[in-house]
Amino acid sequence: MTTFMITRRGMVMGLAATALLPALDMTDALAAGTPKQGGTLKISHSTRIATLNVLNCSGPAEYPVVDMLYSGLTRMGPDNKPMADLAERWEGSEDAKTFTFYLRQGIVFHDGTPCTADDVVATFQAILNPDIPAAARSVLNMIDKIEAVDPVTVKFTLKTPFADLPISTAHANARIVSKAALSGPREKLDTTANGTGPFKLETYDSARMVRLVKNENYFIKGKPYLDGIDMMLFPDLAAESANFLSGAVDVMLVVQQADFQRIADATGITAQRIPSGRFVNITMRQDQKPFDDVRVRKALAMSVDRSTLVDIVLEGLGRPAYDNLVSPEFPYAIETPEIAYDPEGAKKLLAEAGYPDGIKIKLVASNRPAIRAQVAIALKQMALPAGFDIEVETMPHDTYLANVWMKGQFYMGYWGMQATEDATFNLLLTSNASYEDTAWKNKDFDKLIADARATVDPAKRKELYAKAQQLQLDETPYIVPIFEDILTASGKGAEDWTIAPLSRYYYAENVWLNKA
Amino acid sequence: MRNFFSSPTAIMGTALLSIVLFAAIFGPMIAPYDPQAFDPLNRLQGPSLTHLFGTDQFGRDLLSRILTGAPSTVAFGVGATLLGVGIGSIIGVVAGVSGGWVDSTIMRILDGLLAVPDLLFTLLIVTILGGGMEHAMLAVSIAFAPGMARIARSAVLSVRTRDYVRAAVARGESGVYIVTCEVLPNALSPIVVEATIRVSFAIMIGATLGFLGLGAQPPSTEWGLMVAEARQFMFRNPWCVAIPGISIAIAALGFNLFGDALRDALDPKRSHG
Repeated sequence: MTTFMITRRGMVMGLAATALLPALDMTDALAAGTPKQGGTLKISHSTRIATLNVLNCSGPAEYPVVDMLYSGLTRMGPDNKPMADLAERWEGSEDAKTFTFYLRQGIVFHDGTPCTADDVVATFQAILNPDIPAAARSVLNMIDKIEAVDPVTVKFTLKTPFADLPISTAHANARIVSKAALSGPREKLDTTANGTGPFKLETYDSARMVRLVKNENYFIKGKPYLDGIDMMLFPDLAAESANFLSGAVDVMLVVQQADFQRIADATGITAQRIPSGRFVNITMRQDQKPFDDVRVRKALAMSVDRSTLVDIVLEGLGRPAYDNLVSPEFPYAIETPEIAYDPEGAKKLLAEAGYPDGIKIKLVASNRPAIRAQVAIALKQMALPAGFDIEVETMPHDTYLANVWMKGQFYMGYWGMQATEDATFNLLLTSNASYEDTAWKNKDFDKLIADARATVDPAKRKELYAKAQQLQLDETPYIVPIFEDILTASGKGAEDWTIAPLSRYYYAENVWLNKA
Repeated sequence: MRNFFSSPTAIMGTALLSIVLFAAIFGPMIAPYDPQAFDPLNRLQGPSLTHLFGTDQFGRDLLSRILTGAPSTVAFGVGATLLGVGIGSIIGVVAGVSGGWVDSTIMRILDGLLAVPDLLFTLLIVTILGGGMEHAMLAVSIAFAPGMARIARSAVLSVRTRDYVRAAVARGESGVYIVTCEVLPNALSPIVVEATIRVSFAIMIGATLGFLGLGAQPPSTEWGLMVAEARQFMFRNPWCVAIPGISIAIAALGFNLFGDALRDALDPKRSHG
């Protein structure tokens, strides 16, 4: 129940801060009382569950499923802090170079075989193996050695000090897979799952429905409360919301901004709005004209009316951002100064940079999710008086991934919130970041991030991350105009449904159905 | 032709078509607002005196967007049809005039293509060529060509054996002369009628492609695209879906009724009735 309360508080704080949604009905959920056993929860989602491979899945509907099927050593709580999962406790050495994780006793996989330190070692070795596609590698690549001390103790030795290891082990793609499954054919991970999570896989049909049933041997006694979960695919958004409002499904995984007010106003529905560091970023390739000049990037930054963007694109369900990838939720986030909408000033800056007649340029936006194209269209209009003549080109997401992403000169990016500052910057901005797509490659910045990673003292880390963020603000490698809130909703009787701000942790074992 | 306006279909079709053509020609000039200008304070509003058709999700004036979208929508329908009629007629006339194995070969291939529905065929071509207005137009015209070829061929066949054609052959006229001066003018009316009706289908396919994101690109004011973009907001302001939807319906209906009436008027069997 604690996790639930914290989320509520976070949410209420978010609401109070923006003061836009006073009429949210929360009394129902708070007064709900003791959880009941039984029932099947139906969750609707609008994107396909294309794979169940926990090591490299990345779909918005794939994260909840692997969160239900698998457990990690640690897990991120709704407060963005690592909490116990398979490991009931852990300790790090003073220099943050060795970590020991102590597993719970008697954990078993869904097929009944015990889950031991050997499985943990096998999983992390698979993640670190460059031949295996694994999304968690970039946050775990400082690991030098992993050993099973005894069946319930795992010891990590790191190449460099890294105090955030328990956060890295909570990565959504670093959940523990059995050694047997890893040594078998890896394609089997795509369609089958033998995890230690609260639910077991019953049927997997990526085009229609994924059905999960209760894991009777889940390591937390008495949980999960539900007998099963049906993940139902609705490719059409209007059909999804209609089914949710009629009560045919209990939880709508993602609510569109345009629909949020209508759904929140419906009777018996608990709509949740969770402030998050999820952002849209305008990618400007800096190894070619015109964005090689910081003045051009600054000029474009001044041509974005951020609060209007929050109003018209996010329907007020988010916050303006000022080109800092790190949102205020992060422990080492600095106070980011506002960037005012100033097309006149931008025009002057462009002239100084050698573009007195403005710049004509094509901006690519993938058609999924719709927010990319909406921000692009709004940007075109807002930047027009500053002299940017932007032509928006939308394209199907697959075409974008194949032809534009990581290659194009000027396009819309969209990223979920990362667990740490380190993960955020190593995702996009450092020279060897996983998805480095700006060619910014600033050596000073790289050094600050590497130093901060190896620093244990929180005060010193704070200072290093502050410098890194300041450098980012001075150079504007990306334009980050808005942070988007996570929107989800649960219907009458579905209690304690919540999503972490990181949007990869769902705590489905706490959800229960309050139906007669 | 004199009795053209005696049927209600003709009056209706002409009236609707006049509205659409007026919007297509003068629309961009009489639009009260800049169709791309945002108005964050007046988003998703219903019809009012300041915004006669209301506003969309960015606060853009719907009337202005419809009016500026009219030329491209109508041009798309007419352009795609003209191109399709051109391609189809050439193929059909060649087949009809040549006869024999040339005719058989061409027509069997076209019959095969006719088995594929227009929209599906268009989607296939657009997928191969890539999206965008020009490609969509080309795709529609290619999809239309087999049907038009069949009609052109049948028209040619029906006049090929007439006495005036035989007379021309007897006079020793060249093949080109016979086709352009004797056959085509007399085979033209069914082609024109069919083309007029096809414009409505072209407009609808164009709107469908825009809706599916394969035609015009945002922030274009193409009507099908407007429906697609506004669909998310349909529950908050039904007008932003209804207005472009009705516009598409009016344009398609206008061409369709006009074509129907034209067919009736040009059909000698009916005009005497």
